[in-house]
Amino acid sequence: MNPSDERLHVLQMARSEVLAGRMSRRAFLRLGLALGLSAGATALVACGSATPSPEPTAAPAPTQSGPTGRLRVASEIPVQLDPAFASSDAEILILNHVYDYLVDIDAGNNVIPRLAREWTMSDDGLRYRLTLADGVYFHDGSPLTAADVVWTFNRLRDRSLQLPTADLYANIADITADGENAVVFTLTTPNPFFLYDLSDNHALVLRAGVTNPATAFNGTGPFKVVEYRTENRIDLAAHQAYFQAGKPAIANLEIIFFADQAAAVDALRGGQVDLVLRMPTPLFQTLQQTAGIVTVQTPTNGFDLVRLRADRTPGNQPDVIRALKLATDRQAIFRQVKAGLGAVGRDSPIGPLFSAYYSEETPIPPRDPAAARALLAAAGYPNGLKLDLHVPDSGDRPDLAVVLKEQWAEAGIDINVIVEPESVYYGDNGWLEVDLGITGWGSRPVPQFYLDVMLVSGAVWNESHFSDAEFDALAATARTTLDEAERVRAYREIQRILIERGPIIIPYFFAQLSAHREGLRGYVAKAFPGRTDLAVIAV
Amino acid sequence: MNVQRLGRAFFADPATAAGTIIVAGFLTLALFGPLVAPYSPTAQNVDLIRQPPSPSHLFGTDRLGRDLFSRIVYGARDMLALAGGGTALAVIFGTLIGVSVAYLGGWLEELVFRLFDGLLAMPALLLALLLLGAVGPSRVSVLLVIVVVYTPIVARVARSVVLTLKPRGFIEAARMRDERLSYVLWRELLPLVAPTLAVEAALRFSYAIFLVASLGFLGVGVQPPNPDWGLMVLEARNEFALAPWSLYVPAAAIALLVIGVNLMAEGVRRAIGES
Repeated sequence: MNPSDERLHVLQMARSEVLAGRMSRRAFLRLGLALGLSAGATALVACGSATPSPEPTAAPAPTQSGPTGRLRVASEIPVQLDPAFASSDAEILILNHVYDYLVDIDAGNNVIPRLAREWTMSDDGLRYRLTLADGVYFHDGSPLTAADVVWTFNRLRDRSLQLPTADLYANIADITADGENAVVFTLTTPNPFFLYDLSDNHALVLRAGVTNPATAFNGTGPFKVVEYRTENRIDLAAHQAYFQAGKPAIANLEIIFFADQAAAVDALRGGQVDLVLRMPTPLFQTLQQTAGIVTVQTPTNGFDLVRLRADRTPGNQPDVIRALKLATDRQAIFRQVKAGLGAVGRDSPIGPLFSAYYSEETPIPPRDPAAARALLAAAGYPNGLKLDLHVPDSGDRPDLAVVLKEQWAEAGIDINVIVEPESVYYGDNGWLEVDLGITGWGSRPVPQFYLDVMLVSGAVWNESHFSDAEFDALAATARTTLDEAERVRAYREIQRILIERGPIIIPYFFAQLSAHREGLRGYVAKAFPGRTDLAVIAV
Repeated sequence: MNVQRLGRAFFADPATAAGTIIVAGFLTLALFGPLVAPYSPTAQNVDLIRQPPSPSHLFGTDRLGRDLFSRIVYGARDMLALAGGGTALAVIFGTLIGVSVAYLGGWLEELVFRLFDGLLAMPALLLALLLLGAVGPSRVSVLLVIVVVYTPIVARVARSVVLTLKPRGFIEAARMRDERLSYVLWRELLPLVAPTLAVEAALRFSYAIFLVASLGFLGVGVQPPNPDWGLMVLEARNEFALAPWSLYVPAAAIALLVIGVNLMAEGVRRAIGES
């Protein structure tokens, strides 16, 4: 039984109650309206008609089963709303509802249709043909065509614009429209993760030729922008012509900006917002004890990375790297810093959620500060090692730094913790320069991303400056092979290398912590909160 | 000035005595911290996270299992050293500059005090944040910031007193006697400026405590894991509902010390006025 049939069924039962004298006609009409039926339709049921017919004058008006209600979501403050440059949760959250991706990623990390309703890949893995959904319209009323998709992706890979996606799409040889509603991507080398690349956070489809993408807000997405007040809020209304049936479920979406996550949580407790998509661990633990609030923790592939530069002293000495690893108690860090929420890490970005790729074949040596001290002495540091540890002030990272300082002190490693605002830590690429740092890496649906941008020689964000020929060869194999078994083998070897000699420590994978008020239906947390689908939530 | 009379006037007021006892208590904690604190201020115990106050942990433990009493005791050292040291330096520099430049007058006075006016036009906290942004957060930076922020204020106060004394006969007489400049400044003027500066120093001290705590709370002062009280308030802010003591304890320490110093300052002001 579909929802409208259900409503009709309830109404017909209520009609029996009216006829039996157990319910007033006024109460019956109120029930009909509450169920989303018009007064006229309710009256028709009351009069005995089995199927309410449309009202004569109701052509363009909202349908009885249309979106209803208002959802208020707390968010951090967005800065950049051009999809090609946006990166934060707050920015992607807004854009994900104003625009559409070609394909999307579900909570289980599977590729699912969005603007592209189906796709095929050639046998050699070099040609992808995606067919667009029918009846897709931009908010200005113009229809979506393949030309819009071609324009969008050509913009994203245009090196002259210096967009962060140029590297990601460097493997694309050509993009062409195949008629009005199909697009063909031709690659230079096979990429088994290409569909995931098409769902990159920046890859929201724009209207071809748009000149001001940061302010135009002319998308095909489930919501239209009504009003955007910088650093305050953005109000959105349902896109009535949205192509996906049943979406959006709500008529109005308000995304309210908070500079402080504690304030956002207070707003949830006070009833000023309905949903908070992410928060620090202690606030989450506080909400777990709050009546009327539903807390949701979702495991993710995101992690905090402790890394030492491997291209200069002292990180270029393998014994120093081994000493840091031996001095670290990952289990204790997980308990102290993350309160046991998430998963313990194994110094590799390939976490337990990447089920087949994840391996525990290579054991992590148990913590041994004395052995670490001996290794440092062998490396030429008999009196210990003194290092500055740079850490951004976001999340639980300062606590991680403090716990590491205490643990490493036992091995003779004296850490000077320097907590910096994120803007300072990442500003002028300082995070790529410092010897010892802690960087947060958000969750991605496939592990290859981390290897390609963070660990292969010369990678754009290779903050540890790690360079290992065996690792690079394995990463290249995993990136290009169409043989899944071969990729699994490569990923397992990669994990062994990183545990044995990688200049990185990954003490934990964090959980995505969110909370909403009771009565919200349909909320599914995503590992990257900005990609949460608010269009399916009903209030 | 009769020191005995001053002392009697100072301790005659119970509020002043209470303030003195509070400050003396914190000074004792600061001086004998390692003897008083049962644990290291940075020692963590993963099995004792967020424990409420108990005989073994008088003020409870924080989110990393650190003993809050020990952190307060060691934090008193930082607080008194930074606020007290910074205030002392600001008073010394402010007095030197204020007395000498005000006495000499002329273009030098104009130049120095217009520069100070520029610094005073900015709120103290904003100026401190600007300076820390330039030099980076550390204990020395915080000390430096207090000196830079408060020296112009002390200098202004010293100048105002010197300007009232400058036309007086005894200064004129000293000039006529062809006394050296240093004699006029430090033997004739300074003793008369000192009482006002004593009150100012006590007030600056209480403001400096707030400034150090504020910088710690904003995360730009003393860095973790040092037991800075303001930093402790910042770190406890998100877990108020889980471990309220971890917020109350450092906040109460800041409040108590500021109250103690203010009561002392009031005592100094009153005693000097009466004597």
